[in-house]
Amino acid sequence: MNEQVQEKNIYHPHLMEIIKVIPETGDTKTFHIKFQDQTLAKSFSFLAGQFAEYSVFGEGEATFCISSSPTRLTHLEFSVKKVGRVTSALHQLNEGDLIGFRGPYGNHFPLDKLRGQNLLFVGGGIGLAPLRSLIHNVVDTREDYRQITILYGARTPQDLCFRYDLEAWVKNPTLTMVPTVDAGDKNWKGKVGLVPMVLEELKPSPVETVAITCGPPIMIRYTLKALDKLGFTPPQVWTTLEMKMKCGLGKCGRCNIGPLYVCKDGPVFSLEEIRNFISDEF
Amino acid sequence: MYLKISRENLRKWLTELKKGAEVLVPEKVNGLWTYTPFQGQDPLPNFLNSRIPPKSVFFPSMQALVEWKSSGGSVQLRSLTPAAGPKVLFGLRPCDARGLRILEPVFSQDNQDIFYGQNLSRTLLLGVACRRPCPGSFCEQMGIDPQAAKDFDLSFREITQGFIVKVITEKGGKLTGGGVFFTEAAAKEWEEARSEIKNKNETLSFDLEKVKTRVGERFTDEEFWMRVSLKCLNCGICTYLCPTCHCFDICDLQIPGQGIRFRCFDSCAFPGFTKMAVHNPREEKWRRYRQRVSHKFNFFPQNFQNVACVGCGRCVVHCPVNLDLRQVLLAISG
Repeated sequence: MNEQVQEKNIYHPHLMEIIKVIPETGDTKTFHIKFQDQTLAKSFSFLAGQFAEYSVFGEGEATFCISSSPTRLTHLEFSVKKVGRVTSALHQLNEGDLIGFRGPYGNHFPLDKLRGQNLLFVGGGIGLAPLRSLIHNVVDTREDYRQITILYGARTPQDLCFRYDLEAWVKNPTLTMVPTVDAGDKNWKGKVGLVPMVLEELKPSPVETVAITCGPPIMIRYTLKALDKLGFTPPQVWTTLEMKMKCGLGKCGRCNIGPLYVCKDGPVFSLEEIRNFISDEF
Repeated sequence: MYLKISRENLRKWLTELKKGAEVLVPEKVNGLWTYTPFQGQDPLPNFLNSRIPPKSVFFPSMQALVEWKSSGGSVQLRSLTPAAGPKVLFGLRPCDARGLRILEPVFSQDNQDIFYGQNLSRTLLLGVACRRPCPGSFCEQMGIDPQAAKDFDLSFREITQGFIVKVITEKGGKLTGGGVFFTEAAAKEWEEARSEIKNKNETLSFDLEKVKTRVGERFTDEEFWMRVSLKCLNCGICTYLCPTCHCFDICDLQIPGQGIRFRCFDSCAFPGFTKMAVHNPREEKWRRYRQRVSHKFNFFPQNFQNVACVGCGRCVVHCPVNLDLRQVLLAISG
């Protein structure tokens, strides 16, 4: 029997105050939050790619990545598409409202494997959120990396998230930013086409390059195929996987993909790891 | 160390223990065996096993985790802790005690879950050997001896006059202290108290080692899983009654001004278990059944060394459509 039981409730959330709400698209909002407890705010740290459990008291908890960068710790950011009970409740909240926060959980993007490399980010829709954390991170430590290319797409110009970031990245001379939409409108001056197709057109060189992708499952699937065609090998390709989670700590048993827990062993995986999964259930 | 106790003294001893601890014994409530506070009755008359496994004593179907009070935009959060104080669970069976140990690393590894851990560490497990086979059970095939259990603190074997007791842990030994209720017994008496279980079900025997190897190989055989899961109704009773199923949900309950966050049993048999905003990786029933069997006999052993099944037979007996796990395991190993 284990006598050395810790006196700590791992399900206890911390209170965080919403300090800003940014509408991204018709159904997506970004929330800026800060810890109520100053000591916690000072001691908190995380790494790009990690996620947390966010809660609206009375409605429940939901899992989202931390979409801000560990290099910008004044507050945390996360982005939410309105699809269910908790996300709808979050969308009702305003500045000054309190939410619950547990985290950070999960693994993170392998910065040690990215340093000194060219980076290719391929994102779609709200899938830019976890990539954005890493992009801000590498922009803030720019000298550690070589060329950085960002390909980001959405269904229409109105569905592009983080437009303020996209504009800044377009203006940043040390980055190559390529926005695309599935269907443009009369004001759209960027590319028109699905992300994997535009990726093939761009023909980024796989030499000393690491590709990091996140987006809807269908986009990821075709992006992986396109990267393979371009000569990227599985260890050069990284993604973050989404699975339904409740505890975020490897207890509640629902984010299993084969013997792996997406919450503990992921959410960041290399294509090399994914290829060896026993299961196709993701 | 071996001890002896008469039925009368057992009752007196449990009554004495009740002064300093919460004592739970098997009792029939509304026609179903369950573990309830000891009330001085003769424990174990005709007791085979409880309907709901004793995992629910440590991992209840609903467990409040945090509570809050809210007023005018402010929230006061309070972390809840598991109840403290000694607890004694008398009468549990070797299979269920094994189940409690199998679940231990799930809750204690990496991030210690105090609710399960503290509940288990404050409880003394007084187990009783089986005399009759439970319907649908296959404990021996799962490597569990229904006559003994290393997972208990004290292990009881029933004889005509009372019980022969083997002291397994120091804590268990301390509990018997004083020599008021127990007398010493010889190892020979313990051996002689071993009762052969008659009418065992031998027809559905499978080779566990083969199951463990073949279940991984079978994973991609969609047709196989479709066939074996065909009659499953997704009712989830197998998971709720399983001593090793531990998947849970976390939900909120709120009335104006206050609320609680609790965890409750959930089941991989339900389509909503993995349903996400955009897609559901286990939309089809055969995928969910495959997950349950693969988790128990393949993934769980990979992560925690043990197979997550103790052969108690609850899922076999209580399945409304007779989906017999033994037959599925036999098919997997074949």
